[in-house]
Amino acid sequence: MSIEVRHITRQFGKFKALDDVTLKVESGELVALLGPSGSGKTTLLRIIAGLEFPDPGPAQVLFYGDDVTHLPASQRKAGFAFQHYALFRHLSVFENIAFGLRVRPRATRPPERDILQRVETLLKLVQLEPLAQRYPAQLSGGQRQRVALARALAVEPKVLLLDEPFGALDAKVRKDLRRWLRRLHDEIHITTLFVTHDQEEALEVADRVAIMRDGRIEQIGTPDDIYDRPASPFIYDFLGNVNLFHGRIHEGRVLIGDTAFEAARGAGGPQSQAVAFVRPHDIRVTREASGRSTLAARLVRCHAAGPVAQLELERLDGGAAFAVQLSRDQFRQLQPQPGEQLFVELQNVRVFSDDYSI
Amino acid sequence: MGPAATLNRASMTPRRRPTSEPPRVRRLLIGLALGFLALFLVVPLASVFAHALARGWGAYLKSFHDPVTFSAIKLTVIAAAIAVPLNCVFGVAAAWAIAKFRFPGKQLLITLIDLPFSVSPVISGLIFVLLFGAQGALGPWLIEREIQIIFAVPGIVLATTFVTFPFVARELIPLMQAQGRSEEEAAIVLGASGWKTFWRVTLPNIKWGLLYGVILCNARAMGEFGAVSVVSGHIRGETNTIPLHIEILYNEYNFVGAFAVASLLTLLALVTLALKTWVEWKNASAPGANHGSSP
Repeated sequence: MSIEVRHITRQFGKFKALDDVTLKVESGELVALLGPSGSGKTTLLRIIAGLEFPDPGPAQVLFYGDDVTHLPASQRKAGFAFQHYALFRHLSVFENIAFGLRVRPRATRPPERDILQRVETLLKLVQLEPLAQRYPAQLSGGQRQRVALARALAVEPKVLLLDEPFGALDAKVRKDLRRWLRRLHDEIHITTLFVTHDQEEALEVADRVAIMRDGRIEQIGTPDDIYDRPASPFIYDFLGNVNLFHGRIHEGRVLIGDTAFEAARGAGGPQSQAVAFVRPHDIRVTREASGRSTLAARLVRCHAAGPVAQLELERLDGGAAFAVQLSRDQFRQLQPQPGEQLFVELQNVRVFSDDYSI
Repeated sequence: MGPAATLNRASMTPRRRPTSEPPRVRRLLIGLALGFLALFLVVPLASVFAHALARGWGAYLKSFHDPVTFSAIKLTVIAAAIAVPLNCVFGVAAAWAIAKFRFPGKQLLITLIDLPFSVSPVISGLIFVLLFGAQGALGPWLIEREIQIIFAVPGIVLATTFVTFPFVARELIPLMQAQGRSEEEAAIVLGASGWKTFWRVTLPNIKWGLLYGVILCNARAMGEFGAVSVVSGHIRGETNTIPLHIEILYNEYNFVGAFAVASLLTLLALVTLALKTWVEWKNASAPGANHGSSP
């Protein structure tokens, strides 16, 4: 276990930023802390780095089994990249990266030649060799973030902590940089924990994703796990791209309108009222009804530009709207017309007892 | 008139921007501003030198051969040399505390730093007399130990320090607040000690603001009249600073002498102004210039 936190609680006045959080990150793993703003993810990251402290109690932070709870940030050997980079504005790119080596006490400071070599290697790693003599103000956002990463890596940290590493970048650079981060991680295998509020980013980059809500970890798992088997309606809602149907649970199946569907049970008690979640790409659309396993719906509108066709349908019994995604092929075969009556079959339905409202 | 002529005419008259005033109004406003500047700044400035040189360079230079004048200059330099570094250290410490940390009483501290600006300098001087004077609260205790503060050099240094107290701190607080704490946090995570973080990160980031504050602080320290006047006792050759000495010379109808010494302070003002401009220019062109406040 290379990063382990146990029973971390942190209260700001009346607001509980973290509520008894326990988390383990395996050695060499890349884990995303995902959550809406105010869910405590940045506070947790800062506590791990030693920039913030947990409330007194049984709280513990361990790096590779060593208890670092009471070590100051300067002695934890954690690499940290800040959301707004926090580069030293008066130092060049080269000196920014060299900083962590130069501030060491004389006894442990590497000789100048080694510092030079190490910085050169890192500049190469982050592909910024030609910009070594520039100042932070002369760099783009993506370049600054890469300098920040190189600076954090220069001190050979035990773990790497990234706070919204791509939060301040525009969409295109974000995508490029997160793939770059994934490749970098595959190359150097440093245990990494990064905070993000972007579910797409977390699912794409991380080995495992921990979803936080109101100071607690709601679910932790691989991206597939999280996407296919969300543990709560909140996670469905937060990940987005999902339809919600109200219904009743009946003999292990869920009744939506008059139609019964096979459903996997999520969390919840034995209440008969339930909400069912279905992803738009798990809905099959046909022209003919097939017995009692399809719902009748009217096509409101559709647009087919892009890799998938987006359909918006309205149930005939009650008129609740839902979305469907079809592949281009399926769309071409079906050729649905707005206003037309269609039948849908719901697959991979997950139900939760109806005490959660979105 | 053909279309070509119209086009030509249009290109001759400069295009007017929506916010610009008619030329007559513009000329009037600029004239007023310049006239005011001349009347209240340039004429007095020139007249200082005119009076100082009224009897020629010989008389002007002779004014400085007076040992009493020399001692006034010396005392002013001593007072500034003590007050400016003190306020520099205090200003950095206060701004650091206020900008980077949360603590109870912070607002009160900010208000207190401004106190010397909001109190009349004469009152500031009087406070020290009431505290350290012979009839003052600590007077008997000081007399017993033969320590003299009022009507002596320590009083002048104290009064100068008090009056120039806010300059550095006020310059740095908004600058450091705008810069935030993240660079310091980055340095600490990278393993830097608090001391190294201060020297290698905090100080370089505020150096131009600090220099600016020091220049203003020094100008005020050398030019302070009111507070120093109350605590000095006006002992010639011992407790007179430059401004006090000028007043005495003037009251004795020694106009050349008064204005000659005054020209020193005037030169100091001009040098301050030049330095200030230079610092502002340097600040704006410094690498990574990205400042919260421009002075």
